[in-house]
Amino acid sequence: MRYAIIGNGVAGTTAAFTLRAREPGAEITLISAESDYFFSRTALMYAYMDRMSRRDLEPYERKVYAKQNLRLLCDRVTDLDASRLLLTLESGRALEYDRLLLATGSVGDRPNWPGLDEAHEGVVHFVTLDDLDRCERLTPSTRQAVVVGGGLIGVELVECLVYHRKQVTFLVRSPGYWPGALAGEESAMVSEHIRRHGVDLRADEGVARVLADEGGRVRAVQTQSGAEFPCQLLGIAIGVVPAVDWLRQVKTPPRIERGIVVSSSFETSLENVWAAGDCAEFLHDGRSTVEQLWYSARRQGELAARAMLGDPVRYELPIFYNSAKFFEIEYTSTGIVDPSIEGTRSFFCRLPGKQASVRIVERAGAVVGFNMLGSRWNHTFFERWITERRDLDYVVEHLREAQFDVEFGRVDLAPVHATYRDWKAALHPWPALPRGSGFV
Amino acid sequence: MVRQGKAAWLAHDLTHRGVTAWLLSALLVAFYLVLYYTALFDRAARAIGLDSKWTFYGILYSLAIVLGGIYVLRKYRHNRYQVVRTAVVMFVQVILAFSIPEILQFVHQPEYYFSYFWPLKFDYWTPETIFRFPLGYILYSFLGSLLLVPLLGIFFGKRWYCSWVCGCGGLANTAGDPLRHLTSKSSASWKFERISIYTVLAVCLTLTALLFVSWGIRTRDPALEQFVDGFQSVYAFLVVAMLSGVVGAGLYPLGGTRIWCRNFCPMAALLGLVQKFGRFRITVKENMCISCGLCSKYCEMGIDVRSYAQANLSFTRASCVGCGLCAEVCPRGVLRLENIRLRHPQQLALIHISPATTRSRTAAI
Repeated sequence: MRYAIIGNGVAGTTAAFTLRAREPGAEITLISAESDYFFSRTALMYAYMDRMSRRDLEPYERKVYAKQNLRLLCDRVTDLDASRLLLTLESGRALEYDRLLLATGSVGDRPNWPGLDEAHEGVVHFVTLDDLDRCERLTPSTRQAVVVGGGLIGVELVECLVYHRKQVTFLVRSPGYWPGALAGEESAMVSEHIRRHGVDLRADEGVARVLADEGGRVRAVQTQSGAEFPCQLLGIAIGVVPAVDWLRQVKTPPRIERGIVVSSSFETSLENVWAAGDCAEFLHDGRSTVEQLWYSARRQGELAARAMLGDPVRYELPIFYNSAKFFEIEYTSTGIVDPSIEGTRSFFCRLPGKQASVRIVERAGAVVGFNMLGSRWNHTFFERWITERRDLDYVVEHLREAQFDVEFGRVDLAPVHATYRDWKAALHPWPALPRGSGFV
Repeated sequence: MVRQGKAAWLAHDLTHRGVTAWLLSALLVAFYLVLYYTALFDRAARAIGLDSKWTFYGILYSLAIVLGGIYVLRKYRHNRYQVVRTAVVMFVQVILAFSIPEILQFVHQPEYYFSYFWPLKFDYWTPETIFRFPLGYILYSFLGSLLLVPLLGIFFGKRWYCSWVCGCGGLANTAGDPLRHLTSKSSASWKFERISIYTVLAVCLTLTALLFVSWGIRTRDPALEQFVDGFQSVYAFLVVAMLSGVVGAGLYPLGGTRIWCRNFCPMAALLGLVQKFGRFRITVKENMCISCGLCSKYCEMGIDVRSYAQANLSFTRASCVGCGLCAEVCPRGVLRLENIRLRHPQQLALIHISPATTRSRTAAI
């Protein structure tokens, strides 16, 4: 059996190892034009900040690939002919396969701001190794930078630029930082923290125009409010999109909407072709889902490989979770935390004297989500409580079990319990029947 | 990418095996050779009113740990484990490893280091010491090696000694902190470590046994006594002077801060074996690792922590000194040092029910 995998990111590489574990004799080829070896995209920022070398980004020793007998090709796929089970590579080489996995990941989304196309130099994303190269090349000639986009990649790029002592303006279109994940209080806390690092964070600011000098290097960004921010580097971090453009021109393109459309067992519209990771799009009952997280890519890579091996696989979206770090503030999120979702209400507590907070979201008597900032939590407890449909009383009472702080550093939850009692008392000033002690 | 500016270049060069790092390493090696084999520092010590070069060296060493400790306390001030641990390390060095031996000498007692035990302090378990030192010291020495080492090792892992008490670890975790990432993480270096450290331990145990045997039959077998004497001086030269001093500290800027502790220290070897059967472990939070590799990069013992974290495997490695830096640098809070007794029933359930994802895969690698 010949397996070909396009993309050596976490989805592709996980799939390759999964295939190898089950089929010791199969021929497995991983193709990537981005890097010779699988590297950790999530650590790009640490390479940019001199905390790691490029080589340190690779999660496996290079000899592992030889030991596992995985063939690595540094090449770009230019054509796919699914009817002849054939890939054509940029080097001119042809590669036949029996089963193919598309795991091409995503690239930074490029907006259509006026003037952006004229700025040939100084505009960066922060997603690929090429992006990192570009950032590093531009860093010495940059004094001021503008980063657009209030998500995770945006704040990472901002942190890197602050490390390199650039004057950074951070433009966020929404009224606060990362409204998709953080409610008002958390967003304000994180924004304050970002500002404390000398970043000029501007909320409610959309880009109106990009200005370039005669040489084509970006020189300023004009916002919709009319302000102009001079910069020699413009970082665009407004999100990522599936890297599927190249697939539209091949001989036999699979069905593509936002990403490569796959079934719940990762099959594309083409025979013997599967897709997984950031580039895959699921359509369940008219709802489109593209998961673009490290965790989901790894999970999908493994499951897609099992589907390719013939296992019955039915991918269902698991309980969402994510984690992040905003400069020094750690963040753990599980379940439904979007405050705009109807029927939810949440208990929130800012821990006094700390840049830390706890938010527990409830719907119809059951806890559905957690948003925790500034201390460490084991999300597997949250997942369990959500699955078991525990109520707020239970969860607050047992919250301690999910703490994951360092030794001697366990955050005191007494303020959380006190706030919770007050919050409940305000919700139900006259409880029907006081139960237990302390509830009068 | 290195930050711009001359100061940033120097900082990077010193900590990334640049020209200045080689120079510093050469300087350190030269310092140790001069210290061990010449009287230069004796003269220098007397010039400033000290009794010997070893007092002078003790002051330098304590100063490095105190100043480095202040730097580390500031750097990791948000992490209580690091703050408590560093404070203890500084205290032990200044009081137990420097002041008390000095005071003991002053009051005409044997110069005794209460923070060092056999087999690291090899000469505390020789017939010569045992029959010369007052009983109290000998009892303490036996208590330390035979009771403290295994008991605390079982309950807390080897960290109670290697990263809380020991001076070698103390220097590594304070002044050596900016160089901690230099330790090799390759599987080849792990293989080397396993051979070298147990070899030194075996040699050390053999020598101690031989010393007692030859002392016991010294009147009947003077040839053996002569041989053991030779053996002991070779050990003192190769292991104590060369590996722990010249190589162990001199090569900090090239090979990282734990060359001695990881590859050669017989005490670390012994504690590592105890640790494997004890309660200490590094717990990995399931499916939260992003494989960034900071944990591996900043592990001073050369453990590829990432390989465990990304496979959801909680682990205990014999070499782990429990410095806690992997947990500190992890941007997703995936790792935690723990002394597990009985797991919480919920936790047990989670461990067993967890989807059989990633686990099978890494077993193969």
